[in-house]
Amino acid sequence: MSVAQPLPHDAARLHVTGAARYVDDIPTPRGTLHLAFGTSPAAAGTLTALDLDAVRESPGVVAVMTAADLPFDNDVSPSNHDEPLLATDAVHYLGQPLFLVVATSHGAARRAARLGRATIEKSTPILTIAQAEAADSRFEDGPRVYARGDVDAGFADAPHRLSGVMEIGGQEHFYLEGQAALALPGDNGDMHVHSSTQHPSEIQHKVAEAIGQHMHAVRVETRRMGGGFGGKESQGNALAVACAIAARATGRPCKMRYDRDDDMIITGKRHDFRITYDVAYDDAGRILALDVRHDTRCGWAMDLSLPVADRAMLHADNAYHLPAVRITSHRWKTNHQSATAFRGFGGPQGMLGMERIVDHVAHALRADPTAVRRANFYASGGDISGQKIQTTPYGQEVDDFIGHEMLARLEETADYAARRAAVDEWNARGGVIRKGLALTPVKFGISFTLTHLNQAGALVHVYADGSIHLNHGGTEMGQGLFQKVAQVAASRFGVPMEAVRITATDTAKVPNTSATAASSGSDLNGMAVRNACDTIRERIELHLAQLHQCRPADVVFKNGRVTAGGADYSFAEVAALAHQARISLSSTGFYKTPEISWDRIKGHGRPFFYFAYGVAAVEVAVDTLTGENRMLRADILHDAGASLNPALDIGQVEGGFIQGAGWLTTEELVWNDKGALRTHAPSTYKIPACGDRPEVFNVALWDGENRADTIYKSKAVGEPPLMLGIATLMALSDAVASCGEAYPDLHAPATAEQVLAAIHRARGA
Amino acid sequence: MYNFDFVKPATVDEAVKALADDEAQALGGGQTLIPTLKQRLASPSKLVSLTGIAEMKGVSKQGDAVVIGGGTTHRTVAEEAASAYPGLADLASRIGDPAVRNRGTIGGSLANNDPSACYPAAALGSGATIVTNSREIAADDYFQGMFTTALEEGEIITEVRFPIPQKSAYAKIAQPASRFPLVAVFVAQYGDGVRVAVTGASNNGVFRWSEAEAALSGNFAADALDGLTVASDDMIGDLHGTAAYRSHLVGVMAKRAVAAAS
Repeated sequence: MSVAQPLPHDAARLHVTGAARYVDDIPTPRGTLHLAFGTSPAAAGTLTALDLDAVRESPGVVAVMTAADLPFDNDVSPSNHDEPLLATDAVHYLGQPLFLVVATSHGAARRAARLGRATIEKSTPILTIAQAEAADSRFEDGPRVYARGDVDAGFADAPHRLSGVMEIGGQEHFYLEGQAALALPGDNGDMHVHSSTQHPSEIQHKVAEAIGQHMHAVRVETRRMGGGFGGKESQGNALAVACAIAARATGRPCKMRYDRDDDMIITGKRHDFRITYDVAYDDAGRILALDVRHDTRCGWAMDLSLPVADRAMLHADNAYHLPAVRITSHRWKTNHQSATAFRGFGGPQGMLGMERIVDHVAHALRADPTAVRRANFYASGGDISGQKIQTTPYGQEVDDFIGHEMLARLEETADYAARRAAVDEWNARGGVIRKGLALTPVKFGISFTLTHLNQAGALVHVYADGSIHLNHGGTEMGQGLFQKVAQVAASRFGVPMEAVRITATDTAKVPNTSATAASSGSDLNGMAVRNACDTIRERIELHLAQLHQCRPADVVFKNGRVTAGGADYSFAEVAALAHQARISLSSTGFYKTPEISWDRIKGHGRPFFYFAYGVAAVEVAVDTLTGENRMLRADILHDAGASLNPALDIGQVEGGFIQGAGWLTTEELVWNDKGALRTHAPSTYKIPACGDRPEVFNVALWDGENRADTIYKSKAVGEPPLMLGIATLMALSDAVASCGEAYPDLHAPATAEQVLAAIHRARGA
Repeated sequence: MYNFDFVKPATVDEAVKALADDEAQALGGGQTLIPTLKQRLASPSKLVSLTGIAEMKGVSKQGDAVVIGGGTTHRTVAEEAASAYPGLADLASRIGDPAVRNRGTIGGSLANNDPSACYPAAALGSGATIVTNSREIAADDYFQGMFTTALEEGEIITEVRFPIPQKSAYAKIAQPASRFPLVAVFVAQYGDGVRVAVTGASNNGVFRWSEAEAALSGNFAADALDGLTVASDDMIGDLHGTAAYRSHLVGVMAKRAVAAAS
């Protein structure tokens, strides 16, 4: 059976030979036009005049459009209708699109876009949390508060108490392929859009609104993305809508791709957070009461900020049982790019806040942080010793917790105790280079918190020659979703992988899909495909059972053969037979996640179908004179349930961990006091490269099944491993703590300068 | 990029003539100039490539000096100066990335005088002589602030003469994204004293840290620098690091260079 085999990515050969086709590689019809935005040079103010004469006269320019030229809705928001494609009067951030240039080439469009002259009556931009709070510039009418237990009583009775503040930076997605879209106008108002998007149905919806059509007139296709990471969940809307509007206006195909600098300046990033905490604990480091506040800068538009900030709250416990807790979340509206989805979707920030609190408590007690982590863990899911099952702060039962078991295993395989002693001994020598070691857990909730999004559709055809056409609503962004789902299809029919053809995501084949997000791609689409395949298979079984006088259950699909009542066919023969018998060999499939319900206002319910777990042990070295640092070794044990494809899943774990470590170390976003993003290219913004990975990098999958009834008992693996990178920051904190008595109070990203500052703090300087 | 003419002379004399035109611009390895042209931040009418001039290439030892042709790439210096002047070769081997080292030239780097370039530290730290088509300029007179040098319009660096020190080393902390020095220090010990040149740190470009030179001339040891600091007033403060951080790093890098000197 193809499921559980470590097969390579289906397009790996195409990727490495350059033959894999992305939106900008699609051969375009003659006369295709190219688009570029002219953007705002100011972060806040009122647009009083827009002189576009020079733009219009620039060579190759065919049309120039402003908000006044848009025929229908001027909106690309995925949520709140607060995101005009082109600014009308108010300007909300530096880089906001003001006008659209349509020209004969990409270069001509970009050059012309630079010639626009906007007159903006500037106002003082809201850039900091303090400025936003003073102006009460926020989304929703006040903070969200999720709480349980008697927090005040917990503080009153506690033997120890401490408080602190941590700053957590944002993160640029840095997908290898930038944002891109291509719109091909059809007759009768139809529009065919190729988009580099994680959410084709959203593109379809926004394009339809923008060109005054119903969704049935718009077809969106996505073969693959060169990386998404959440950055293509809503941020592709502007390009696709712009292309469709221009294609409608000119009658010619229109294409748009952002140059890397434009991409970084225009599109949203991971939310930055400030976590403020007040915690009560006992002598063993057990947390008795916790009051934590999240402040996040959401940028100018609501976008996905509410569910992102919600998910941060839902991960404020990470893997720890908190008997009395209050989580208060402020979502500030600021004059920046609209912060958006990014792998983990707020979960990483909430979880990092909790890991920081545990680290701080352990430091105050002079205890091994791993012991404090263990003391606060949820009870093991397999052994609750007759006690009531523990619940999260939002009331979900934690009945599948395997943190104890995974931690114990990793301590053994990573030789934690001996290395802990070796690191302490090294640091006791007091040299310039200090080492740090930390072991942190991940518990990540799987499902969209907006419950209705947890559905998926599939379309499967079996052709008369036995070949299989596979389509579903999930999108491929390099993560290997298509291959994992194809393995499901091949397994259901008992055929080799070559029999299954993977096809582009297409709103004309599977409608009303959810974004490929929330790690849900394989869970949802794998199930939908299974259901579609099983429908076809059952029809064939019934036919063969009648033909050979056996029970349908005795028809076996295996190794490319189908056997029934002593007869033995190839799958192709069976397909031809079924076709001749006038049996439909095409089916849709549908799936919705069971058992979930969630009230985001009350903060109570079961938002997640299950949790995915992981543990990481990271060792780092820090140069105490410069703050420079690097990972020496990382050992990871990650829970992918019964993996659909261990090779792809380990790839996701490795990539997620490195991306998480990059977020917390070298990836620093810098805006100046005018609101201009100063880090908008790889020359100024440092993502981890191959040489930044730890020299010793051991990644293993936990050998266990998902207790929930998921596709072949596998678990989602897209987002959870990113949070394994938190171990890197905690290891840095450990190294810095060896320099002095005070708590290092290390903020993220831990750039060399930030680490040096923490060393000074630890030394009490 | 705007339109321009391109010539590739074979001799220094031809190059000098070609550069006499208004708006003509010399082109070395193009590692700074080509990106600048692509961004339309410069619009020379004519580019005069210096890469076809054989007399401006190569590394040779002449008496107590290493002489490097102005058109010599960083990679060639890294390989061919290694025995005569290992500190200089090591600096060249760590400039940028392989692409930059295979194309970029010492003459181009010194003529550009980027405040975060590596070579200015070696030239100033060695008390090198910058030889042009018309004269010889001492390094102490050559560097005149960021992107500013003693070169006249159309003047070409034909070679650079580095007196060989007894000991030398270059210590650099790289800005992780661009690999340019955030701060780097070149230290060289000569019979008549020690020179310490700092790049990446100052708003005025490369400079000599005279207090450190005095201390090291008396005692060439890292701890001779204990307690010495450079004021952060003139240090670069930008998105990659504050002025105070750079000021701190000057001291750290200077000590590391002394400790590594061989």
